[in-house]
Amino acid sequence: MLFTSLQYLVFLPTVFLLYWICPHRLRVPLLLVASYVFYMSWRPIYGLLIAGLTLGNFLLVPLITKATTEKGKKWVVGLIVAANLITLGIFKYATFTITCLKDSLDLVGVAWREPHLHILLPLGISFFVFEFIHYAVEVYRGKPLVKSLIDFSLFASFFPTQIAGPIKRYMDFIPQLSIPAKFKWEYVDQGMNLILMGLFKKLILGDNLALAVEAGFAHPANFGSVDLWLIAYAYAFQIFFDFSGYTDIARGSALLFGYKVPINFNLPYISANVSDFWHRWHISLSTWLRDYLYIPMGGSKCSQWKSYRNLFVTMALGGLWHGAAMHFLIWGAFHGILLVLHKEYQKLCEALGVAKNLVNSKVYHWVSVVVTFHLVVIGWVFFRAEDMNIAGQMLSKMMMAPVDLLHFTASQLNILQIRDPIIFPALLIILPILMISQVVIDWMNDKRFYQSPPWALQVCVMVALMCVLTVFSPDTSPKFIYFQF
Amino acid sequence: MKETEATKNAAAQRLCESTPSELASCAQSSGCPITRLLKGSTAVVALMVFLALNYYIAGKSKDNANNYKLDKSWVGWAVNDFIKSPDRKNVVFLGSSLMLVPLSGNDANYLNKKLDGSKHHHSQYFEDQLKSRTGYSASAYTFALPGEMPSDAYMVTNFLLKDEKQPDVIVYGVGPRDFMDNLLPSPSATDPFRVLSQLGSIDDHASLFLPDWQARLDYELGKVFYFYKDREKITDKLAKLANTGINDVLPAPKGAKPFSIFDRRQLLPAYRPAELEEGEAFFRPETAEDKKRGIFDNLAEYRKRYKELKWDTFLTQMQFFASFLDVAKQRGIHVVVMAMPITDVNRSLLSDRAWGAYMNSVKALAKAKGASYVDLHNSGAFQVTDFMDTVHLSPDGGKKMLDCLVETIRLDSTTLSYLNKGNVEIDTKSLAQRKGNSL
Repeated sequence: MLFTSLQYLVFLPTVFLLYWICPHRLRVPLLLVASYVFYMSWRPIYGLLIAGLTLGNFLLVPLITKATTEKGKKWVVGLIVAANLITLGIFKYATFTITCLKDSLDLVGVAWREPHLHILLPLGISFFVFEFIHYAVEVYRGKPLVKSLIDFSLFASFFPTQIAGPIKRYMDFIPQLSIPAKFKWEYVDQGMNLILMGLFKKLILGDNLALAVEAGFAHPANFGSVDLWLIAYAYAFQIFFDFSGYTDIARGSALLFGYKVPINFNLPYISANVSDFWHRWHISLSTWLRDYLYIPMGGSKCSQWKSYRNLFVTMALGGLWHGAAMHFLIWGAFHGILLVLHKEYQKLCEALGVAKNLVNSKVYHWVSVVVTFHLVVIGWVFFRAEDMNIAGQMLSKMMMAPVDLLHFTASQLNILQIRDPIIFPALLIILPILMISQVVIDWMNDKRFYQSPPWALQVCVMVALMCVLTVFSPDTSPKFIYFQF
Repeated sequence: MKETEATKNAAAQRLCESTPSELASCAQSSGCPITRLLKGSTAVVALMVFLALNYYIAGKSKDNANNYKLDKSWVGWAVNDFIKSPDRKNVVFLGSSLMLVPLSGNDANYLNKKLDGSKHHHSQYFEDQLKSRTGYSASAYTFALPGEMPSDAYMVTNFLLKDEKQPDVIVYGVGPRDFMDNLLPSPSATDPFRVLSQLGSIDDHASLFLPDWQARLDYELGKVFYFYKDREKITDKLAKLANTGINDVLPAPKGAKPFSIFDRRQLLPAYRPAELEEGEAFFRPETAEDKKRGIFDNLAEYRKRYKELKWDTFLTQMQFFASFLDVAKQRGIHVVVMAMPITDVNRSLLSDRAWGAYMNSVKALAKAKGASYVDLHNSGAFQVTDFMDTVHLSPDGGKKMLDCLVETIRLDSTTLSYLNKGNVEIDTKSLAQRKGNSL
């Protein structure tokens, strides 16, 4: 069931009404049933997968606490993590592994007829498997066990976050289930606001930008270097609005029931460096990778070489987590290299004693924001391209932009010739607005007016969003990008 | 981290004032519940304002109820031309591409010029042949559209072929795909439906058009929310405004080659796939090379379409076929149903049961509703060489089809009586000449 479907428009209010009508003791079971209905509406059989994994983790994780020695605990937690990863691997990486193996054998001249596996990736598996691993590791680290199977099942399957996160932490989520909360209009207001804003981001901004992106990435040869930069910028915003829109709808839906789930984005495109970017982009994943991959590998508390290796491996695996394809791995590795280079650059600045005033100046900050944004955009080209060949074509052409800009005329812009869909020429207006809007929101964030706008303004914004969404929502909207992960 | 702390505090925050029932009882003691609600929830107020706005604008826009948004597509052009045409047409052709391709393809041959698919909506050859063989000067209009199903034919007839635009005769060419296309999720999924459903109410057949509850809900929401129902019109108007604005601010570079729908289709094949611009789809006179090329193998496509007959689809479309015949009969329009020929190799993709169900049902319904029935498939008049692929007749095949049709009309006193009734001009001279010759 998609958040943008009519099914969800019926499902959510129905569950909302039932939830608040029910006595407290029935609410968690109700949400659990609703979550399974939500999940199984796609492919019922995969309900068994999430149920099986939930039961398995619920029964096995207590064995960690029962192990008497540290070594025993390590073994148990290792086995549980491995079991979860193997499940993920079978569904997500089996075909990729076979293809890689075949390509490698082809290279050395060995002919092998690979088996064709018809495995359909279960929606959200990457997210709930990460939540199970987090639970096992936290229990190993001494955090308490979840006593109730129903609570634990809801933690794993909670429908607002089930398909594409945010990746929850059980210590934050489970306690909320036991509080006998009472209805508040505030939940409805804040929840609706987030849902409408999320739908606006996805359906109006993301889906429209997607048209230009789709054309550009499918036919890079039809566009010039400057066009391709604009299309790459457009993708940067498309994926941001697509995913942060999803997160807003997820958070808004959870809030309707009085539950809070973590934020995932914090104005990522005003990051002043790549490290800052990863503190603002897909926060629940980057903190997960930090806590359960980077730190267990040794983090930064080891030799410089090892700490760089840890950083690189974490990011490369993070890339591979997004999808079983070489271009995702390259994207992750690219960010790993950028993070390492950033650390080296910081050291170099310190070693050379570059004037602190310069580094702390606003000019330096905004130049850093622009440079970081462009590096991230280059990364997105790897991420979005169907394969490395397309990415190579795009990037090699994009690198010619400085030369082309020297004798630039409007006639070089192919996007200006495409008048329908209007999004193509409109990119020249929309993209600067979107970029500036991040700066403006950042400036307004701590202003009282923005934090609690007047009642009438809130109503006007909601009505405007309802009108815009009703009129402009496409008949068929592409799936959320993060659904494939 | 800030958010995590906030989440930790969420449990505490969840303790609050009242449940809905408590709210209601509390409201009784503290004044009007509506006032309390209005003060309490911006979302509820916003929803109420939104509903009121829909209701208000819907009332204001009633004057423009006939202001259809006819887009640039096969169906858009056909409807637009038909509405704008000042004359009443005597004969209207209905059908899918099975009819469209031979009708227009043959005309291109006959007139020896390329014909713009967006503009050519009649059959010159048919008009001339009818006149020369029967003496009737009838005007014909082609409402044959790519992918047209009986549900679409019903809408064309019900919404457009009436009053001063009512023809005397409808010629409807049907094929098995029209009733059993498995690629079609519902009758509302066709491109003609999108345009035709704006031309009238589908309430009396809503459950047939919209068997899926989500499609039905979508339709019902359109009735409640003005913005939802008329979203295409509003979007279209705003898009025109935006286009003007963008053209002013960012005009296309001078000397740039205009970007056509054809160019766009190369870049974005899924974006408005049914859109057809003037001068972008032509029927061309057949060349010797075309004839040499032989028939195109489109069996793979038809294997998908016929794969496992869906009886629901079949029965639904048969009901629409019956409704179409009923509407025509009620209005005094005579229908000639033509079972279009298809190649044996295409026919063999269907089970005998499915084929039998199709042929027998079409024939039985046509007879029961007083329509004339012509079985071109079993007429023995068509060879493989008359086809351009496994189902569509070539221009020469189209000529043969029209010759058969005109001959049927000439011999069919019922059809002739309807043409007579419609005051079709009779060319007695040509009729007398023709009577002297055998056909």
